Amino acid sequence: MKEATTVPVELTVRDLKVAYPNGHVALHDMSFSLRGGTICGLVGVNGSGKSTLFKAIMGFVKPAQGAVRIAGLDLGAALRRNLVAYVPQAEEVDWSFPVSVWDVVLMGRYGYMNFMRMPRAEDRRIAEESLRRVGMLAFRDRQIGELSGGQRKRVFLARALAQRSRVILLDEPFTGVDVKTETTIIELLRALRTEGHLILVSTHNLGSVPEFCDQVVLINRTVLQAGATAEVFTQENLVQAFGGVLRHFHFDQSTVQKHDGKAVTLLTDDERPLVFGKGGHLEYSQRKGKEDVLEQRAEEEDDR
Amino acid sequence: MIETLLIPLQYDYMLRAIWVSGLVGGVCAFLSCYITLKGWSLMGDALSHAVVPGVAVAYLIGWPFAAGAFLTGLLAAVGMGFVKARTRLREDAVIGVVFTAFFALGIFLISIRPGSVDLKGIIFGNVLAIADGDVVQVLIIAAVTLLVLGLKWRDLLLFCFDPAQARAQGLNVTVLHYTLLTLLSATAVAALQTVGALLVVAMLVTPGATAYLLTDRFGRMIAIAVGLGAGASVAGAYASYFFDGATGGCIVTLQTLLFLLALVFAPKHGLLATRAARREAPAN
Repeated sequence: MKEATTVPVELTVRDLKVAYPNGHVALHDMSFSLRGGTICGLVGVNGSGKSTLFKAIMGFVKPAQGAVRIAGLDLGAALRRNLVAYVPQAEEVDWSFPVSVWDVVLMGRYGYMNFMRMPRAEDRRIAEESLRRVGMLAFRDRQIGELSGGQRKRVFLARALAQRSRVILLDEPFTGVDVKTETTIIELLRALRTEGHLILVSTHNLGSVPEFCDQVVLINRTVLQAGATAEVFTQENLVQAFGGVLRHFHFDQSTVQKHDGKAVTLLTDDERPLVFGKGGHLEYSQRKGKEDVLEQRAEEEDDR
Repeated sequence: MIETLLIPLQYDYMLRAIWVSGLVGGVCAFLSCYITLKGWSLMGDALSHAVVPGVAVAYLIGWPFAAGAFLTGLLAAVGMGFVKARTRLREDAVIGVVFTAFFALGIFLISIRPGSVDLKGIIFGNVLAIADGDVVQVLIIAAVTLLVLGLKWRDLLLFCFDPAQARAQGLNVTVLHYTLLTLLSATAVAALQTVGALLVVAMLVTPGATAYLLTDRFGRMIAIAVGLGAGASVAGAYASYFFDGATGGCIVTLQTLLFLLALVFAPKHGLLATRAARREAPAN
């Protein structure tokens, strides 16, 4: 099998419909197209069909209608050419399995190996290079369960790199990952984008999307909006995609006052935000019922 | 003393029982690494019971027992897959219903033709009186299983570890699934001869479970499991001469003892080691 070429890769989803045996239609009339050299966020509420779309792109579910094509090939041919790699969510992996970091990354080379999957020097070189790239080479002999959440993620990213796939799917890559690893992963994804990879990242972590995605596909069973982040990631579109599910913090209705100015700190773990005003005092999302607080702070800060 | 110890080796039937048991024990142990990691232990138990009606029918109509056993084993496996896919029943319930149905049918068939089939031999095994034809069947099963595992052990490893990834890399997961299932049925048939239908599952689970406690590397796990499985089978068959006890019971008891030793003393995953680790933990 040949290594993937450097021709820009294209992912086309056309009129896709996926129905499960119990009759539940997970996706319908779904169409979008992406080209290599992009990091695209796949954004939608839980149950909007993000995982199902990934499964369809990986060929795990058969579409009832429509098709997925990659680099102009039908899916089976694309998969056989190692065009697609998948970085799973942490809970999909059995971490007590007796395999080392090195074993896992080398498995990414199976598609290039012979009938007995005997690694050649080339496979070892690429596996080593992939591990070095995610900064995990020093951990090559560790059993995978001995790693932290972020390290585990990076090992599976290294496996995807070892596959030399043009299309890389990441399922919720930032869940259970520390900030440092998140930064490392984002930097790596940016480098891969420059090299012409097509990276599709499913996430419900809205705040991270403008940080690193240049394109966004907003879905809820079907494509709501698709395009450049600046155009798609608008309040209107997000409210449409998330409906009442989004957590709001309207500053004009909150206890944030004039004296807080720009000294407001907003903390969020993508649930409800926690807001601190000037000097670090706690702000409430509703003014109503907090008149005494407002009064007291206004007196202290002398702004009325 | 030494003369006493050498007595069993003077008998051809003992020598044969020892090497056949060792071979079956080793092959089953190799497969047990996959079975335990895949979570198919219950499946192994089911298949070892489901082969019984096949053995009964094969004996009644004069077929090689392995052919009949293999057929009903696979039929049970497919039946379980079918029922599971079409109903909302949980897997353990499906396995429970299907394998007991097959086992019951086997016992029934044997009981209506008493004398023609050795029920006790099927249930408890009788490697001391194994016939030449049966030895050939065991040899063929062992050779094919070792060949398939030897060539495809890496593919099967990825299939057990991460079937989604296996699929994404163009491996045929369905073929791998049925390969493993077929090997399971075949070795269950071979082990039936040695330890009997009731104890086959021990041969297909215990060595792998023991090795899993002793290492974090798959390659080493296979080596340890095969060593323990074959060793315990050889020693068990040999020792059964002195105890004048059932060979199957002797082999499996020995395997269980080894498992218990690993459970307590394994360097990293044993009870003592984990307790020591827990005691150290609060210190830092």
